[in-house]
Amino acid sequence: MTGSTGIAFGAVTLLVMFSGMPIAFALGAVAVGFMAVFMPASALDTVTQNVYEEMASITLLSIPLFILKGAAIGRSPAGKDLYSAMHAWMNRIPGGLGIANVFACALFAAMSGSSPATCSAIGSAGIPEMRERGYSPGFAAGIIAAGGTLGILLPPSITMILYAVAAEQSLGRLFLAGIGPGLLLVALFAGYAVYRYRKEYAAAHAMHQQGGSRSALLDDRRYTWPERVEMLPRVLPFVILLIGVMVALYGGYATPSETAGLGAILALLLIAVVYRIWKPKQLRPILAGTIKESTMLMFIIGMSLLYSYVMSSLHISQDAAHAVVAMQLPKWLLLAAVLGMVVVLGFFLPPVSIILMTAPIILPPLKAAGFDLIWFGVVMTIVMEMGLIHPPVGLNIFVIKNIAPDIPLRSVIWGVLPFVALMLLAIVLMCFVPGIATGLPDVVMGATR
Amino acid sequence: MTPATDSIASAGLEVGEAGLELSRPEPAPAGRPLIGGVHALLQIVNRAVMVPCMLAVVAAAACLTYSVAARYFLKVPTEWQDETAVFLLIGATFCSGAFVQSYRGHIGVEAIAELLPPRANRWRLLVIDLVSAAFCTFFAWKSWTLFLEALHEGHTSNSTWGPPLWIPYLLMACGTSLLAVQLALESAVRAVDTEVRP
Repeated sequence: MTGSTGIAFGAVTLLVMFSGMPIAFALGAVAVGFMAVFMPASALDTVTQNVYEEMASITLLSIPLFILKGAAIGRSPAGKDLYSAMHAWMNRIPGGLGIANVFACALFAAMSGSSPATCSAIGSAGIPEMRERGYSPGFAAGIIAAGGTLGILLPPSITMILYAVAAEQSLGRLFLAGIGPGLLLVALFAGYAVYRYRKEYAAAHAMHQQGGSRSALLDDRRYTWPERVEMLPRVLPFVILLIGVMVALYGGYATPSETAGLGAILALLLIAVVYRIWKPKQLRPILAGTIKESTMLMFIIGMSLLYSYVMSSLHISQDAAHAVVAMQLPKWLLLAAVLGMVVVLGFFLPPVSIILMTAPIILPPLKAAGFDLIWFGVVMTIVMEMGLIHPPVGLNIFVIKNIAPDIPLRSVIWGVLPFVALMLLAIVLMCFVPGIATGLPDVVMGATR
Repeated sequence: MTPATDSIASAGLEVGEAGLELSRPEPAPAGRPLIGGVHALLQIVNRAVMVPCMLAVVAAAACLTYSVAARYFLKVPTEWQDETAVFLLIGATFCSGAFVQSYRGHIGVEAIAELLPPRANRWRLLVIDLVSAAFCTFFAWKSWTLFLEALHEGHTSNSTWGPPLWIPYLLMACGTSLLAVQLALESAVRAVDTEVRP
C-alpha cells in the first residue's frame, strides 16, 4: 500500500512539475491532493498552520535579508571597484589578471552571497578587460562563470541555510565548513588560470615569433603605487563589512539571522555613504528585486516543507530511506548514486527544492553509512555549484551570455568545462581529506565527535 | 521572458543584477472591459501593497540589528525582535505573492512543456493557471479560518513575549486571497485569449 502510494506520489509530482506549473503551487497542490485522498479530512484544516509553523523560523526567514544584502551590494558599483583594485594589485603576477578575477569573484560572492550577481558584477568589468588583454573569450567566460559559483559555497549561502534546516545541522558550523573547500576551489581556479595563461601566452609568443600578429597578451600594463592605493578607499569598507559580519557571527555577538539583518542594514548604509545610493528612487529597484526574488523562493520553501510533511506523514520518505538502506550499497557507491541524483535533479529543479524534497530520503541512509552530514552538505553544495555552470540549465552560462553576448555559447561551455573538472577534483580531494570541510568548524566550534 | 532571464529564474535561488530586472506585468486582453478593469485595479492594489512589503523587509533587518545592539551595548534583554522580524517577513512574503505572480515571477519547469504544439500549449497554460488558482483559493480559505480561530480563541505564540498569532495569519490570509484573485484573473485572461501563440 505505502509503496504504491509512494510511487503514485512521485509520479504525480513529476507530471505536475513538468506541466510547467509554478513549482511552489505544484508542490502545494500535490501535497494537498494527497492529503485529501490518503489522510483524514481533519488534516486539510491544518495545511495553513503547517506552512506557517514551518516557515516561521527566523533562520529560514533570514533568507530575504541575505538577498537584500546581496541586492544592495550587487546593484552598486562595488563589484567593478573590487575588480579594478584586485587587477591593479595583482597584475605583476603571471596570469595575475585571471587570478584577480577569481579573487574578486570569491570576495564579491562572500559579500553578496549570490552567484549570478557575482558573475554579473565582476564579469561585466572582468570579461572585457581579459579579452582586451588577449585572453581567449572562452577562458575569460569560464573564469567568471566558475568564480561566480563560489557565491553558494562561501558564507552566507542560502543553499546552506536550507540544508542546515532540512538536515537539522548547525548553520554556523555549516557556514564555517564551506570556507575550506571555498578556498580550495579558489586555489584550484587560480592555479588553472596561471596554467592556461602560460599556455595562451606561449602560443601567442610563438605566433608572434613566426611573424604573426602581436597578441595583446604580450603587452605589459603597469600600475603605479599611487594608482593602486587610490583604489582602496572604495573597496575596503566592503571588505570590512564582510569581515565584520563574520566576526559578529563567530565571535558570538549575533545569531545567523541577526547577522543577516545586520549585514543588510550595513550594506544599505555603505552604498549610501560610498556610492550615494540612498534616494527612494534608487532604492526601489533594490527592494523590489529583493521582494521578487525572496517571495518566489519563500513560496517554494514553504510549499516544499508542506510537501515534505505530507511525504513523511504518509511514511513515503521513511520507506524510501529504509529501501535505500536495505540495498546495503557500498558507502562510496551510495554517495556517488546520491550525488548523481542531485546532478540529474539539478537539470530541472532549483537547489531549494532539491534540498527540501530529497533531504528526508537521502540523509538517513548517508548518516547510516557513516557520512558526516556537515561534510555532505558542503559536497552537495559543490555539486549544485557545478549545476550552475554545466548545461543544460547552467544559470551562470546564461548570465555570461547576457553580459558578453558576442562570445558564442559553444566557447562559453568549452570554457567552463575545465572548471567543472576542477570542482569534481575538489570533491574527490574532500573524500580523501574530509578535514578540508570539517577542520575549520572543529577548530572554531569544537569537534562534535 | 528571454531564455536567459528564464534560466536565471529557473535557478530559483539567486538574486543578481540580471535577476533584479523586473519585466512588465502580463497585459490585459483588448476589448474585454470587465477583465481589463479588474486587471487595472489589481495592478494598482499590487503596487500599493508592495510599498509596505518593501518597508517590512528593511524594518525586519533593522529589528535584528537593534537586537544585536540592544544586547551588547544597552545590555537589555531581547525578546520581541526575532518574532517581530518573523511577522514582518511572513507578511512581506505572502502579501507580495500576487505582485510577483503579476510578473509571472513564480517559476516553473518549462523545459519540456514548451515542446508541445501551440494549441496544446495554450490548453496546458490554461489548466496550470486554473489548478494554481484553485490551490491558492483553498489556501486562502484555510488561512481565513485559521485567522478567525486564532482571533476568537486568543491564540498566542509560545515565546515569553507571546504576541497574538492572528496578526501573521491575517497577513497570510490577505496575501493568499490577493494571489488567488490574481491567478483567477490570469486564468480568465488565458480563457478569453483565443490567439494561439507558438
